[in-house]
Amino acid sequence: MNNALIISGLTKTYKDFVLDNVSFSVPSGSIVGLIGENGAGKSTTINAALGIIQKEDGYVSVFGKDELDNETKEQTGVVFDGSNYPEILSPKKINQIMKNIYGSWDEQAYFRLLKQFSLPLDKQIKQLSKGMKMKLAISVALSHHSKLLILDEATSGLDPVIRDDILDMLLDFVQDEEHSILVSSHITSDLEKIADYIVFIHEGKVVFSKPKDELIEQYGVIKCGAAQFDALDKSDIITYRKMDYEWQILVSERDKMQKKYPKALIVPATIDEIMLLYVKGER
Amino acid sequence: MKGVLLKDFYIAKSNILVTIVSLIVLGFGLSFLLETSALLILAPVASTTAVFISITSDAGSKWNKNVITMPVSRNQIISEKFIFYILLAVVGLITALIPCIVLMLAGADITVHSLCLYAAIGMSATLLAGGISLPCAYLFDPEKSQIVFMMSFMASTGIIVGLVLLTNLFIPVKNNILLAFNIVLVISGVCFFISYRIAVAVYQNRDIV
Repeated sequence: MNNALIISGLTKTYKDFVLDNVSFSVPSGSIVGLIGENGAGKSTTINAALGIIQKEDGYVSVFGKDELDNETKEQTGVVFDGSNYPEILSPKKINQIMKNIYGSWDEQAYFRLLKQFSLPLDKQIKQLSKGMKMKLAISVALSHHSKLLILDEATSGLDPVIRDDILDMLLDFVQDEEHSILVSSHITSDLEKIADYIVFIHEGKVVFSKPKDELIEQYGVIKCGAAQFDALDKSDIITYRKMDYEWQILVSERDKMQKKYPKALIVPATIDEIMLLYVKGER
Repeated sequence: MKGVLLKDFYIAKSNILVTIVSLIVLGFGLSFLLETSALLILAPVASTTAVFISITSDAGSKWNKNVITMPVSRNQIISEKFIFYILLAVVGLITALIPCIVLMLAGADITVHSLCLYAAIGMSATLLAGGISLPCAYLFDPEKSQIVFMMSFMASTGIIVGLVLLTNLFIPVKNNILLAFNIVLVISGVCFFISYRIAVAVYQNRDIV
């Protein structure tokens, strides 16, 4: 399988934060969800991969090229949290600007998307709602025949209806096997709906990079009391958390654990629970 | 780069129009009080304020981050701002020339010599002010770029005085005033170009936040 994006050993040091040797890839035709709490390093990873910030070490390859040249940028659509366009502009003026920036700009596709999203042509961006601004940014990202979409917290702060519209559009985009998406979000339920792979970043490090189905099907949470917790083989525990009335224990092989501990209540783990237990749990 | 230039034009359009109208009105208005050609000193630098409006807007809207992901190099991003600056200065100069030429044709006491002299002083001040403030806008806080620009304009007048005094050591300025200010203009142009190269080099490896 070809990879649209490969990130290997990406490192960036700040005074109070280190992005430490981050590696993962985005296979063609797939959606990769980058999850992690605020400040975990998701945006830093995306910014370093896009050349917005300078990486100290590591390797980024987009469509097999290790340099993010103009040809690669033509095929990469990026959407950030917020529209990131001057508020005084209108969707119509953005068309004029992009026509002169992207060689592959598809005016018809852009206007079609604006119509599909019911976005006004002549209204200034500052008059648009946050949801409309995001839809506009996505329309731009999809109007230059992008093969790779990178979305950094693009659904944050949006209501569920608009988020669902955007997720549907992303699923539609990836129907083409040449298209791929890297989407970072701390709204894990969104990624649970659309992602093929989940990359979990915590404190600047990749904790795991796995197919979503493997996480959903294999990971489980044992909910038990103190006595049952003490009886567990500690090598089976990935991480655990003591709540008010119970212990929550994250395990990676749910079926195997159910056979090993037949009396234990093991429920499938959601991505949210996996993330919470990794971040807040003890090892 | 054309697209980025167009974006700056859209942002600064109203400011440019107000500047053009003001310069023309001021040009004719001044003719009753003093020599209209003196407007050429202020016109180029006054017109370039639109660049700093666009720099502030870019920073505020996070366009700087967005544009890096587009097929536009960092070199082109900086070049565009310097080109936009020069274009606006030239527009300001031409606009201020309109009332001067009209009044000259109407018989006012305006000479080609005075037009060239004031234009040279105006463009020198503009190039020096831009040479200082444009890299500063990218090195430091872009939100304060307009203040930096005003300060650099004040600094540029001091630099011009210094350059004229320096020129006076080799050429008697009083007798060759136009030549002296043309030398200052050339030096200012060289400084602007050096400043552009520095800004490009600095921006090349800069983290965009």
